Amino acid sequence: MLQPINVSLESLNLITLAPMLIVIAGALIILILDLINNKLHKSLYVMLTLLILFVDFGAVLGLNVNERGFFDVMLIDGISIISQLMIIVGSMIFIPLALTSRRFHEYSYPEFFALFLFMIAGFQFMVTSDNLILIFVGIETASLALYTLIALHNRSNSYEAAVKYFTMGALAAAFYAMGSAVIYGLTGSIELYKVAEVMATRINETGLMIAIFGSSVLLLVAFSFKLSLFPFHTWAPDVYEGASAPLAGFMSVVPKIAAFVVSIRIFGMYIDLGVEWVRIIILVMAVLTMTLANIMALVQEDVKRMLAYSSISHAGFIMAALALDTTEGTTAIFLYYALFMFTNLGAFSMLWISRHKNRRFDARYDHPYEKFAGFIQIMPVGAVIMGLFMLSLAGVPPFSVFWGKIYVMQAAVNAGYVWLAIVMGLNSAIAAYYYLKLIVYMFLMDPVKDVDTIYYNLSKPLMAVIGLATLATVTAIFYVQPLISYLYYMISASGY
Amino acid sequence: MDNILSVLVFFPAIAGLLGFVVNKDSARAYGITVAAIEFFLSLWLWLSFDSSNAGMQFVELIPLIPDMGIGYYVGVDGISLFIILMATLMTLIGMMSMTITKNIKNMIITLLFLEMTMIGVFVALDAIIFYLFWELSLVPMLYIIGAWGGPLRVYASVKFFLYTFTGSLIMLVGMLFMAYVYHNLTGVWSFAITDWYSLVLPVNYQLWLFAAFFFGFAIKVPMFPFHTWLPYAHGQAPTIGSVILAAVLLKMGTYGFVRFSLPMFPDASVMMITPIAILAIIMIIYTAMVAYAQKDIKQVIAYSSVSHMGIIMLGIFAMNAEGISGSVFQMLSHGIVSGALFMLVGVIYDRRHTKLMSEFGGLASVMPKYAVIFGIMLMASVGLPLTIGFVGEFLVLLGFYQVSPIMTILAGTSIIIGAIYMLAVYKKTFFGPVTNEANKTLKDLDSKETWSLIPLVLIVIWLGVYPKPVLEPIDNSVKAMVSFMHEKAITQEAKDMIKVAKTDKGGF
Repeated sequence: MLQPINVSLESLNLITLAPMLIVIAGALIILILDLINNKLHKSLYVMLTLLILFVDFGAVLGLNVNERGFFDVMLIDGISIISQLMIIVGSMIFIPLALTSRRFHEYSYPEFFALFLFMIAGFQFMVTSDNLILIFVGIETASLALYTLIALHNRSNSYEAAVKYFTMGALAAAFYAMGSAVIYGLTGSIELYKVAEVMATRINETGLMIAIFGSSVLLLVAFSFKLSLFPFHTWAPDVYEGASAPLAGFMSVVPKIAAFVVSIRIFGMYIDLGVEWVRIIILVMAVLTMTLANIMALVQEDVKRMLAYSSISHAGFIMAALALDTTEGTTAIFLYYALFMFTNLGAFSMLWISRHKNRRFDARYDHPYEKFAGFIQIMPVGAVIMGLFMLSLAGVPPFSVFWGKIYVMQAAVNAGYVWLAIVMGLNSAIAAYYYLKLIVYMFLMDPVKDVDTIYYNLSKPLMAVIGLATLATVTAIFYVQPLISYLYYMISASGY
Repeated sequence: MDNILSVLVFFPAIAGLLGFVVNKDSARAYGITVAAIEFFLSLWLWLSFDSSNAGMQFVELIPLIPDMGIGYYVGVDGISLFIILMATLMTLIGMMSMTITKNIKNMIITLLFLEMTMIGVFVALDAIIFYLFWELSLVPMLYIIGAWGGPLRVYASVKFFLYTFTGSLIMLVGMLFMAYVYHNLTGVWSFAITDWYSLVLPVNYQLWLFAAFFFGFAIKVPMFPFHTWLPYAHGQAPTIGSVILAAVLLKMGTYGFVRFSLPMFPDASVMMITPIAILAIIMIIYTAMVAYAQKDIKQVIAYSSVSHMGIIMLGIFAMNAEGISGSVFQMLSHGIVSGALFMLVGVIYDRRHTKLMSEFGGLASVMPKYAVIFGIMLMASVGLPLTIGFVGEFLVLLGFYQVSPIMTILAGTSIIIGAIYMLAVYKKTFFGPVTNEANKTLKDLDSKETWSLIPLVLIVIWLGVYPKPVLEPIDNSVKAMVSFMHEKAITQEAKDMIKVAKTDKGGF
């Protein structure tokens, strides 16, 4: 007869679960509210979501560094805390973008907000665990919610995007499951810290290297899909194009932060074990990703697709920092995303305010470059702000992304990869061309046709979000120092 | 006022921001007033500058990102002082003579931001702050060329931006590597140029770093074979754009060599004397020949401008006080003279909307004042004694003669070719009978144009006759730098090549 299991509530350390529980409870509250009264306006749900995220933020801030909980599957270390904070901040910028002046049917469903919060809970589970199964559960929770959110948008290619993303996501999940299975077969464990211990003892056994290498390749493929790295990036532009502009901006930042945290945990382990192959493959993929995505971005005719390719290129940039496996490299990943988040979400919001019901400029694209021709004459402030975002993305100092760029490049130089820093520099130069193309259209061309209503979708909350993003982009020089020291402290505290 | 440099940097920027509020009919007056105040502030800087002190003055240091060693660190010495003065002067005069009426408010605001970045580059003593202003200066120039330029303006402006941006990103990697080396040796992160000066680097490091910085600076200068963006930029830019580009923006490249490459990598600089001198001589002779073949007056001046930049490069790599002081002086003279020449071309373009020499002829009889001023500037550009152009060119050639007499003679031919193409321009445009009907009714310079050009004529003659007040502070700082380089050089040939002046009698 089985012994009853005695678990004291103390040892569970339930506080480590608190942030996710808050978000899930919040999502359930939204669903219950809808059950009671289904005539409530979206503004209520937006504000409610913001408040729940605010409480979540507080709960994450209150966590102690380097704790485990809930049968040791939860791991609260420095990178899990900073990544959760960034995920929440990114979501808090994203959610007010629902308050447009036009009506979009996805926001009239409270389920949108509930799903959104479930997705955040999924991301939080992903980053606060080193248990391969819990990570898997987190990935799938978040991804399934995200597929639905994309499909809710009212464009015909939104469904295409959602299905494409779903198919690719399922494929990635399969690779992930296989990779984890190989790891379990090798080490008899799914907890990464135990896996690392066992692997370290067995690494010199003959014939085992191929299995270790195989597991890393399977996992790398899975995360390359999630991070949209070459050659697994092909879904990204179509999905970004099909999704609504704010959601595309969100997807270029928040899910990637979560996936990067897991990648740091898994591939950092391989590199620490001395499996140099992993480092080389990551470097090669990173360089190819940033270069090829840049070249593809040059020939895009649609601003949103251009931004999609540029996001892929930025992801490649950051992936290179992962291969360095130094504290500085890891800090660079978070610093880059913290700075990139505001600028990129701001740029996508600028597309969002120019969203029209019908495609007025091009039969195929929502945001062709022609749409922004002469933007400076139609909406001077908007053009200047969009110009600032583009310059920031191109890495022109003193705007935010520049500081991320030089930190990544400095980390590469410090780790002895001067050639990598030069490749990054040249890639920034290529990238400057397509950002400049938009600036040229906005500032140096004349408007094409009845463009009086470019800023069709503008509303006060959107202005506030864009204003915040602009402020964060322009004043980066003043807050980079505290940001770096906080990130560096948290990351070195958890031993990365 | 100890923080006058910060005032100088940020005054135009704040004025530019406030300029958004100013009514567009008053924007021109606003711009000129602000530029005049800025010019007087820079004169004040000169007055309070201690000419006998060769080091950095008015130094300000505010740490911005201590974890990376980045701080707001500015200062001025004899080398940068006069370039700053020239930048404020040329901005003021450029604005005064501006005839653009389309979107005048945007133009004024853009120019004020450009002025901030120009001064920022020349006062920065922190590599990242230098890089920041350096890159930021591209944006206003892109807009000026792209929005007010000729038919190919978009192509020209994008080419200008991408060329310079690519070069400076390689320079950025060099800066990051320099900071890394500094951190390895001292344990401290620092991007301060004065800290970097104290590093004695092994020769192979010096060579790599020299190459990285070379790309950034050479494209800006522009050195042959990276000069192809410049004729487009000049050809398409409006008059004010060409004036600022030729007078100030190109000087950023040569200033970079003096501020970074020479004192930081003395051995590599000495090893690179011959290759760079060859490039410079190709640049001098080849572009002078190209200039002779041009049909468009503005293109002639654009190419002659590249040719003169070659003289400046040659002087910098003479590695002695005469050559480098001559180069810095030549930067000023080139700024004033080519700026004035571009303004003069702008005058005729405003009247006839063409810049082709074949359209003109006999202008001297129709526009006598214009012809006189054009003549003086042209002579100064060729390097006639008693004009500003002579002093710098003479010192450069004198300095480089100690390195290689043959190359100096080759470079000296530029004066002859320069005289040929410039006089050809003058002959075709001003002498002979008035053949074109349209030219018979041309008006001479109006008071606005006259009053913007007269100060430049006075400076050209004053500094040509009596350059000492300007040359002396330059010479002081240059001598200090050269003896520092001599101390710091590790190879014997570098020590031999870098000649420290025996006497400290300044200049002339």
